[in-house]
Order: sequence, then C-alpha cells, then structure tokens
Amino acid sequence: MKTTIKRGLGSLTLFFFLCSPLFAQTLSVTGEVKTPLLLTSSDFQSLERTEVTAKDRDGKEHRYAGVPLTVILRKAGATLGGELRGENLSKYIIAKAGDGYEVLFSLAEVDTEFSGRTILVADSVDGAPLPQGVGPFRLVIPDEKRPARWIRELKSIEIRFAK
Amino acid sequence: MRNILLLVALAVFLSSFWVETKEKKAELHPYKLEYPSSFGSRFVIPADNPTTEEGVALGRMLFYEPLLSSTNTVSCASCHEQTKAFSDGRPLSIGVSGKPTRRNSMSLANLLWVKNLFWDGRASGLENQAVFPLTHPDEMGQSLEMSAKKLAKTTRYPSLFRQVFGTSSITGEQITKALAQFERTLISADSPYDRSLKGNYKLTASEQRGMELFMRGPAPERGVRGGNCAHCHGGAKLMQEVFHNNGLDSIAAADRGRQEISGDELDNGRFRVATLRNIALTAPYMHDGRFNTLEQVLDHYNEHFHFSPNLSHELRTSHNEPTKQRLGLTSSEKKDIIAFLHTLTDSTFIANPAFSNPFETKK
Repeated sequence: MKTTIKRGLGSLTLFFFLCSPLFAQTLSVTGEVKTPLLLTSSDFQSLERTEVTAKDRDGKEHRYAGVPLTVILRKAGATLGGELRGENLSKYIIAKAGDGYEVLFSLAEVDTEFSGRTILVADSVDGAPLPQGVGPFRLVIPDEKRPARWIRELKSIEIRFAK
Repeated sequence: MRNILLLVALAVFLSSFWVETKEKKAELHPYKLEYPSSFGSRFVIPADNPTTEEGVALGRMLFYEPLLSSTNTVSCASCHEQTKAFSDGRPLSIGVSGKPTRRNSMSLANLLWVKNLFWDGRASGLENQAVFPLTHPDEMGQSLEMSAKKLAKTTRYPSLFRQVFGTSSITGEQITKALAQFERTLISADSPYDRSLKGNYKLTASEQRGMELFMRGPAPERGVRGGNCAHCHGGAKLMQEVFHNNGLDSIAAADRGRQEISGDELDNGRFRVATLRNIALTAPYMHDGRFNTLEQVLDHYNEHFHFSPNLSHELRTSHNEPTKQRLGLTSSEKKDIIAFLHTLTDSTFIANPAFSNPFETKK
C-alpha cells in the first residue's frame, strides 16, 4: 500500500517535473537595472500591451501583440528617457535566445522616446500565442529590413556598460 | 674569519639562485596568437592565466603526459589525436576504466573562441573544462592533487612549473592552466576553403556548387536551392556557439543534452552545433557517434530527422520543394556539399609540429 502511494506520488512529481518547465518559460532582465525581473507569460498580460504590424521572413505582414521593450526596461528601472544622457549613452543590451544566439542593441536605439521606434517583445502573432520554437517571447523590430535581430525564444535581456 | 668568509661565499652563492629564479620569471615571453582578422577577437583570456611561450610549451607536454591518468597510460592525446584534428575516431571514447564514455570525443580546434565547452556547454572556460576529463573515472580517472604529486616526483616538471607559475610546488590548478594555454593555440585557419578566400586555391566545380548550397537557404518561390547549412555552421570560423535539437530522436531520453544542465524542457536533446572545420577527419559524427560517414549525416538532415517538439527552427522550415516537409536536396547536391566539406580539412593544422607529441623523437 505504502509503495503504491509512494509510486503514485513519484509519478505525480514526475508529471509536475515534466510539465513545470512549460509553465516556467521566463524572460529575465538583468544587468544595469534597479530591479532585475523574471517575467512569465501571465506577467505579460498585466503589463501595458500594444500591437504592431510587421513583415516576417516569409515576406508577409503579420499582426504581433505583446509588451513594448521600453515598458519592460522602465519596469526594471533602466535609464531611459531623460536619464538617457551622458555616460548612459554608452549602455547596450545583449538579448539572448534559448539556443544561445545573441544580438546587441544600444540602449538609445531601443528607447522609444530617444529613437522614435517601438521594439516589441511579442507573445502572440495574428491573435494566437507564438508557436513552440518561436515563443513564448520573440523580439519584433518592425522597421528593420532584415529580421536577424528578431530573436525567437527570447530568454534574457541584459543591460551592460561599454567599458 | 674563515667561517665568516665561508658564510659570505655561501650567501653570494645562494643569492645567485634567487636572482636566477627571479630572472627566469621575468623571462616569460607572451605567446602571439595568430589568426585571420575575419575570425575576430571575441574571446577572453583569463587575467590570471596569460598565454606565454613557456606556459604553452608546458601545456603541450601535459597534453601528451600519461602520468595524468590513474593507470599512467592515458593522456589527453589518447582521445584527441592530432592527425584526426584532435578527435579519436571512435563513437565513444575509452579511458582508464575501459568503459566507453558517454559522448563522442570533440575535435579541438579554435577553442579560443568557445565560451562554454562540451557537447552540452557545461564548462565555462578551458581551465574549468580540463578538470572533467582529467578526473572522470572513465576518462583519465585521477584527482588533480594526485596528478600534481606525481609530476612533482619527476625530474622534468618541477623546474618547468616554477618557471611558468613562479611557485615552488605544483598544483592542480596550474596543470589545468597550462593545458588551457596550449589549447588556445590550436588554431585552424589554413584549409583549402580558407585559402580560396584569400585567392590561393580555386575550388573545383563540385566544391563551388557545394559551397553555394552550403551557404544559401532555400527559397523555392524564387527558384533558389540551398542546404542552409551556414545558418548554424557559418561564419569565418564555421562555428557559432549555439545549441540545437537536430532531430536525432523524437524525444531525447537516454541523453537529454543541454536539458541536463539547464533543467529546461526546451533544451531536450539540444547539443552544441559542432564546428565543421576538419569535419572529414572527425568521424564518427554526432554526440553519440551514431553516423559513420558524412553521407549518413547529409541523409539525416535531408531525409531522416525526427520532428522532435523542439526541433531546430531552421530544420523545420528549410524546404527546397514547396510541397515537401524536409530539406529535399538531390543526391548530386548532397555530393557537392560533401565535396565542399572536404575543403575544410586543414592539413597544416594536423601536421603542425608545434601541436605534436613533444616526447616523440622526430623521424
């Protein structure tokens, strides 16, 4: 009897272990910030959201929804807007994907107030959640001619000082 | 009086040693790492382990030193043979225990640019990496402390360690540091492909077609055919530090790859995208050495991969035929790609005397 319960508990634990990573897909925001963040898909629903229309690799226009990168960086307390001056202009972002792929942005180029552009951390495309291998989070940079910085499976955003 | 004279003489004699060791420490010569500008300098050498001529020479000796194994029979070079671009030709390696290792021996080339080593990227930096094979019971099976002790008993090593590290006793950390210094010098940049970029070699028609297929992604709507290999294996070094699931199994159960390090299910069956430098020399292929030939590897990517849930996006989406699910290269296209892969064999690298066994007398 004991063994059965144990076994039952064991497989239940295994079940949660197998499931938990699916729910635990997070986006971390670290580095030169006041408050490091670890955001989940549900956190994304409670943040200020927006939509952009942009052309993906397939050459077709898609409707992406999610949270503007600026909103996330502000929540973490990165130096944006009026604070983006002097030495803060030598800050940059390393955005990293699940497979280790990394790209860089200057902090100034991602700040809507500074550059006038909106970079989106998308969690949905054409009304549906991003598919596995693409989501749960993807960077969408609508005005770029090549989507090489549209990182799929975005895992982390780190703000650093150029030293 | 005589005693005083003797004492003075002794003091002078002893101080000459002090000066000598001090001079020796100052004699270290920085090692000049040479590589094409296209390789770039995106690497970090630890501040406490600068690369020196003397450190590299010591590291080379240690690389070929069987005393670093519990049986005194296995060295790093046992599973990393220079003629095989520092791999061993076996699906899985055999170390001191005789029991096969878990994964295929990786080729050692251009590790200067690799941050996280091994098939699963678990070791950060070459100094840390070296600890694993040295101490693993199925590889060299000996603690670093024991290795240091054994080396201290030799006539050869104590003075060399003193020269490189300036301390009187040998430590395990110094062993891994010297090995890392040597490994940083294993730069491969002189294959026919490299030479063709400099205009010193003309690719054959087949190699040229293979290169174009290798570099290009397919776009059937525009009539463009391609293998899209370079998407993951491209760049001047033919290496990018990414970890992908390439559909070897529908679910990776026996060896879960990077998932074992990260605990993240999305990392199931993700392994390092291996360098293709010297790929014709490093059979068998994949982390478990399951494919014996490049033909089998091409067949896998073209026809046989599993649609694992987290299959690499590029494998899932690269199609030459709009109706097909897979890559869809023809057999002659695959042959051309293999012809191109053979141009990545760097015969200078595998014959470079600076990387060879220093204990073997020249023939």
